Amino acid sequence: MANLEPTKQRRGLVAIDGAMALIVILLVLQIWLLSATLEAFLAGHSGPVVPAAIFSGLLFSASLTLNIFVNRIDQSSRQP
Amino acid sequence: MHGYEFYVDPSRCIGCQSCVNACAECETHRGQSMINFDFIDRGSTTATAAYVCWHCDEPTCAMACPADAIKKGDDGIVQSSLKPRCIGCSNCVLACPFGIPKIFPELEQMMKCDMCYDRTSIGKRPMCATVCPSQALSYVHPEEIARRREKPTNVFYFGKQKITTLVHMMTPAETDAVSLDVLDYMWEGTYVAAARSE
Amino acid sequence: MSLLHDRSKDPLWKDEFSVFTSDERYVTRRQFAKFLTLASLGMFVGNLWIVLKSYLTKKLVYPPAEVATLGEIPVRGVKLFSYPLPQDNCIMVRTGEDEYVAYSQKCTHLSCAVYYSARDNRLECPCHQGFFSIKDGSVLQGPPPRPLPQIVLEREGGKLIATGVKVGGNG
Repeated sequence: MANLEPTKQRRGLVAIDGAMALIVILLVLQIWLLSATLEAFLAGHSGPVVPAAIFSGLLFSASLTLNIFVNRIDQSSRQP
Repeated sequence: MHGYEFYVDPSRCIGCQSCVNACAECETHRGQSMINFDFIDRGSTTATAAYVCWHCDEPTCAMACPADAIKKGDDGIVQSSLKPRCIGCSNCVLACPFGIPKIFPELEQMMKCDMCYDRTSIGKRPMCATVCPSQALSYVHPEEIARRREKPTNVFYFGKQKITTLVHMMTPAETDAVSLDVLDYMWEGTYVAAARSE
Repeated sequence: MSLLHDRSKDPLWKDEFSVFTSDERYVTRRQFAKFLTLASLGMFVGNLWIVLKSYLTKKLVYPPAEVATLGEIPVRGVKLFSYPLPQDNCIMVRTGEDEYVAYSQKCTHLSCAVYYSARDNRLECPCHQGFFSIKDGSVLQGPPPRPLPQIVLEREGGKLIATGVKVGGNG
């Protein structure tokens, strides 16, 4: 990251750190959602199964977007 | 890399310093030359020698670095110190048997030859080898060097320490390894030599 | 190059902070973010799998089974039976002159057998003091997370037939 001026470099790092923290939080949410859905399904309630899957899909697409974002910032930091 | 090897022949050096200036042109190290240029005994001879980093197989500079800033890659090139990690302590400067790393206190950074990694990694020659008119520094296939009378070697003995390097030194045909008694080059050596003779 | 020195004699710090990039286990930001996203994908696939299972598992149809005859047990009396399988213990309570309710006897907390408390008119679990309502099996007190599954009873002639299991309430 030594190619950019210091301010841009710092901002890039902060942005990446923020995005990574968000991804971790989303992942934790997804883990909880999966375990709760599984418990409900095994108890016999098939009601929450489809909405949970949809929400899990939304969380995954959010993680994917953030991942692409991290890659872009990481890449742009290596270009002058 | 790419079949090329680096050969240093100090006897061919004519002291033109083209290598020093070519190296200094590169923006990667902010216009500082990474060539270690020696006037051998300026008072009595015009002989000169230009050296690059020898890219040792077990780089002493890297082993001595407290910040883990010097890395040796799979291709054998010992990279210059990583900017975020180097603390400018000059441990590597003191550790290197060849005296290659240069410390820049104003930058708090060590910089050294990395064999023009941006060039050699894609098959081009380093700047110094490209411009050297006498080919004291040459980056060629081993078959071309075989045509010379001198023999390349990459084994050095510093006292009892054996060092093998990526870069070859051209030596007389009978020499297998360059053997140096480090004490001969230190002022303490005179006392030790005197004590030995008693 | 690194063939020269004997790794087994190296101290741990030398192995962990190796000068050779091939020995490093340095994870880049990109690799870490990619790993997290893949884990996220894994969770999503898990949810999809549950959806698939919910569509594939057929609703279990239990064969009806006779439980008791009307008037067999007194008011506030209890009869134990098994439905739908021999290992599914159930409890039937005559709550009124003409009212019968039946529930699975397995407490939803840790599967202890519940019993009917005539004094308090409720189903009680002796293990951790979990109480269930006699009307619908909902949890009145205690650690049970879900209501007791109710056995659907039907009258046929003078007999009480168990025809299904009703699992109620949210998890």
